[in-house]
Amino acid sequence: MSSRDSYGRLGPLWTFLLRYGPPRWSEYVLQHWSGQRLVIAVPYLWLIIFFLIPFLIVLKISFAEFSPLGRPPYEPVFRWLEEGALQIKLLIGSYVYLFNEPLYVSAWIYSIKVAFFSTILCLMLGYPMAYAISRATPTYRNVFLLLIILPFWTSFLLRVYAWIGLLKTDGVINNVLQFFGIISEPLAMMNTSFAVYIGIVYSYLPFMILPLYSNLEKHDNTLLEAAQDLGAGPIKSFMRVTLPLSFPGIVAGSLLVFIPAVGEYVIPSLLGRTDQLMVAKLLSDEFFLNRDWPRASAVAIAMLLLLVVPIMIFQRFQNKELQAAKK
Amino acid sequence: MKTQGLFSKTMLGFGFFFLYVPILSMIFFSFNNSRLVTVWDAANSPTLKWYARLFDDGAILSAAWLSIQVAAMSATGAVILGTLSGLVLSRFGPFRGRAILQGLTTAPLVMPEVITGLSMLLLFVSLEQLFQYLFGWQFDRGVATITIAHITFTMAYVTVVVQSRLAGFDDSLEEAALDLGARPAKVFFRITVPLILPAILSGWLLAFTLSWDDLVVTQFVSGPGSNTLPMVIFSRVRLGVSPVVNALATIMVLIVALGVVLSAFLMRRQEQRRKREEQMAATG
Amino acid sequence: MQTAERRADKNKIKSEPWRDPHAEAYVRIENITKRFGDFVAVNNVSLKIFKGEIFCLLGGSGCGKSTLLRMMAGFENPSSGSIFLDGQDMAGVPPYERPVNMMFQSYALFPHMTVEKNIAFGLEQEKGLSRADIATRVTDILDIVKLDGFAARRPHQLSGGQRQRVALARALVKRPKLLLLDEPLGALDKKLREATQFELINIQEKLGVTFIVVTHDQEESMTLASRIGVMNRGEIVQIGTPTEIYEFPQNKFVADFIGSVNMFEGTMIEDLPDHVRIKSDELGGVIYVDHGISAAPGAIVYTAIRPEKINILRTPPADCTENCVKGVVKEIAYMGDVSIYLVKIDTGKIVRVTLQNAERQSDDERILWDETVWLTWHGSSPVVVTQ
Repeated sequence: MSSRDSYGRLGPLWTFLLRYGPPRWSEYVLQHWSGQRLVIAVPYLWLIIFFLIPFLIVLKISFAEFSPLGRPPYEPVFRWLEEGALQIKLLIGSYVYLFNEPLYVSAWIYSIKVAFFSTILCLMLGYPMAYAISRATPTYRNVFLLLIILPFWTSFLLRVYAWIGLLKTDGVINNVLQFFGIISEPLAMMNTSFAVYIGIVYSYLPFMILPLYSNLEKHDNTLLEAAQDLGAGPIKSFMRVTLPLSFPGIVAGSLLVFIPAVGEYVIPSLLGRTDQLMVAKLLSDEFFLNRDWPRASAVAIAMLLLLVVPIMIFQRFQNKELQAAKK
Repeated sequence: MKTQGLFSKTMLGFGFFFLYVPILSMIFFSFNNSRLVTVWDAANSPTLKWYARLFDDGAILSAAWLSIQVAAMSATGAVILGTLSGLVLSRFGPFRGRAILQGLTTAPLVMPEVITGLSMLLLFVSLEQLFQYLFGWQFDRGVATITIAHITFTMAYVTVVVQSRLAGFDDSLEEAALDLGARPAKVFFRITVPLILPAILSGWLLAFTLSWDDLVVTQFVSGPGSNTLPMVIFSRVRLGVSPVVNALATIMVLIVALGVVLSAFLMRRQEQRRKREEQMAATG
Repeated sequence: MQTAERRADKNKIKSEPWRDPHAEAYVRIENITKRFGDFVAVNNVSLKIFKGEIFCLLGGSGCGKSTLLRMMAGFENPSSGSIFLDGQDMAGVPPYERPVNMMFQSYALFPHMTVEKNIAFGLEQEKGLSRADIATRVTDILDIVKLDGFAARRPHQLSGGQRQRVALARALVKRPKLLLLDEPLGALDKKLREATQFELINIQEKLGVTFIVVTHDQEESMTLASRIGVMNRGEIVQIGTPTEIYEFPQNKFVADFIGSVNMFEGTMIEDLPDHVRIKSDELGGVIYVDHGISAAPGAIVYTAIRPEKINILRTPPADCTENCVKGVVKEIAYMGDVSIYLVKIDTGKIVRVTLQNAERQSDDERILWDETVWLTWHGSSPVVVTQ
């Protein structure tokens, strides 16, 4: 009987293992694992250890008590007492604070507002761009796509920095406008909501354009032609044919912008208001400045809960696109 | 159709203008002699002095070197894990926990970085405590933790790239290989991987860029003495503009532009050659 | 069709092993069922295929033939039932361990390998073959499929017909016990298809490999097959040689599926061992069949008459009581070698008649539109089915 017969598909490898590895361990692995399971297990374990479990830890710490002088700065949630009993101390104080403290409440509202309107602006600019690219001839199309992707490959941080140079009081835009006499006093554009909107739209535009483009590109031109043949004008056929069909792309692109935008840190830090913060900055300050880990964790969990529904919607659309692409 | 075409074409033009003006202005002012980055000192400009300063700046150079190392390592790790999960999600049939794996691999795509950063830091702290308790080890956060964190969130992108490449991929090729006697592992390495190699490579580049560029997660999980380039840049630009940063930006844009143009050119040449060969076969 | 007949004329039992009740089947498919959720793709199929046959699974799309083929290759597991190959149960045996090779409909040539490497791939997976052995076998098979000199080309540098031959060579070089072919000629144009059909038969005879071919093209199956298994909705509806299938269909589906047929519903009025008479209202007359039929008395039967077996007469025959009907020519389609006539008979039904254009006819010899004609056929022509 060959080793293959007695030990399944990876027979020879397992025979090798048997000779050199601890016998009982090999037997167990042989009986319960085949190569396929191993392939699934490797990324799975990694993600569970380094992605899932951290969230659980954050959850745990969000219920902990802040101890300013402690190292780490929180009281243990689970503690084994001498009698062999397990003491679990859960405080919801951090959460209560989040939803009561005016600083936080306004930050939540502000973050959602900024993310929402940035998404709309991104859509308003990105959709026509994606549309134009999908209608272009193949050579131009590739060039355009390349031009869209190129900024994406350069540093995000540096591109946001570039806007500082443009928006400052003595920045390029103010200089140009004053030079042409359009304004007499420089505009205060830095450290405003306006700057944040520009920053987010600027940075996330490729994320809006690419899903839209990939959807629009698949549209069958003959559908539009049929609509027009049946008497619908260009605007009407766009509204009744193209727009509805591009809906999945719109959803995917919008979520790809909205969800990270809610938790944006860099753009508000460099360009945003100092009197009204977004939640990411609050989290960072709680953590690094106040060293209040429980509260920072609570902010993270609250943010997660806020975004879990959009995230799930995004994943559903992501799946659908992949299924559609399958041949 | 005409008016509509005009509107979207105008927007396209405006969009490109919007996208490129900041980059071009940054490049432009990197040659400006004045410290006030945006006031053109016509008398003494253009100058390369900021570039010279850049190459003297030890903090930036060592941070850049660290960033390159971390990015290369995490891109490689991300590609290995991401390709495996992409393969599993598109080729393997249903198995228990498939939906969870799907969720875990795509969640990092949209997850705000502060959440990922915080959670990974807390994990490392817990691990530190655990290892200290169990083995008496003490380890500091640094290159290792940054790399692990980067791998975790960049592998999602690689998974998506590989998964979408495999989805559009005729699996009869893999079936044919199986039918001819090759075992699944062999089919993967000799048939699947060579054919999705472009996707794997672009996944590597994507993961490299994301890691190289990452700020928030890195800030959370780095340790004393491990400063990456984005961290150095960020601390500088919070205080205002800095012409050295402009110079750095210009160099980076140039490298990327060169890379993109080169790869596009190579791909076109290959495509043209292929078309020619196909035509010859059809007629000959 | 000639080739199959020619083979049958040689040693009968040797070339028709299915007639021998004691013959060992090379491939035994026993009660195979395959379900995908609620959908039953293959429903309790049993088949015996003998060594050296070219067996065709014929059916429309969705009939389950491809699923059955994939189960033989090992890409799908049956929900129930067993497959035996040369006496060995194939349950749980993965595709790379079966002595079976498949030629895919899309050819599935590895685009990043040359023709030579493509063909050698299967041999490289086998143990005990030296480089020299592999090289020899590759050269030999290239010779057999007439692709000498193409070894260094890549798939995208080949035409469709050349790719098909590489796919065939790649599967055959491993000398499998069984070769499965999934719509092998589907992607070729008509001329190439005909030439390739005969080439396939020659190669098969030379190498002695058992072929199982899946196809929806009945012409292809008639040319290639030693036996055909007609499938419909997951079940085998009839198995037989091309002649048997064509001339003696056992039910309406097979009669209708293969070639064209005129079907008349009727009831038996005379049922004797050596002949039957059927009264058909659809026909508007009586059909005389010169052999016995097994059917319940008074049962409804369906009579199938092939278009080429009907004669068209321009003057009424002496006796038009049986196997005869009057009609008006409604459509004529000139196909070059044959002409197809659609004749509307008194009951309103359209009868299809095919006549060979054996001689060039002058204008007044030709049958014209709207002409009244009489259709007759011989008593041996009709085939009567009961379902």
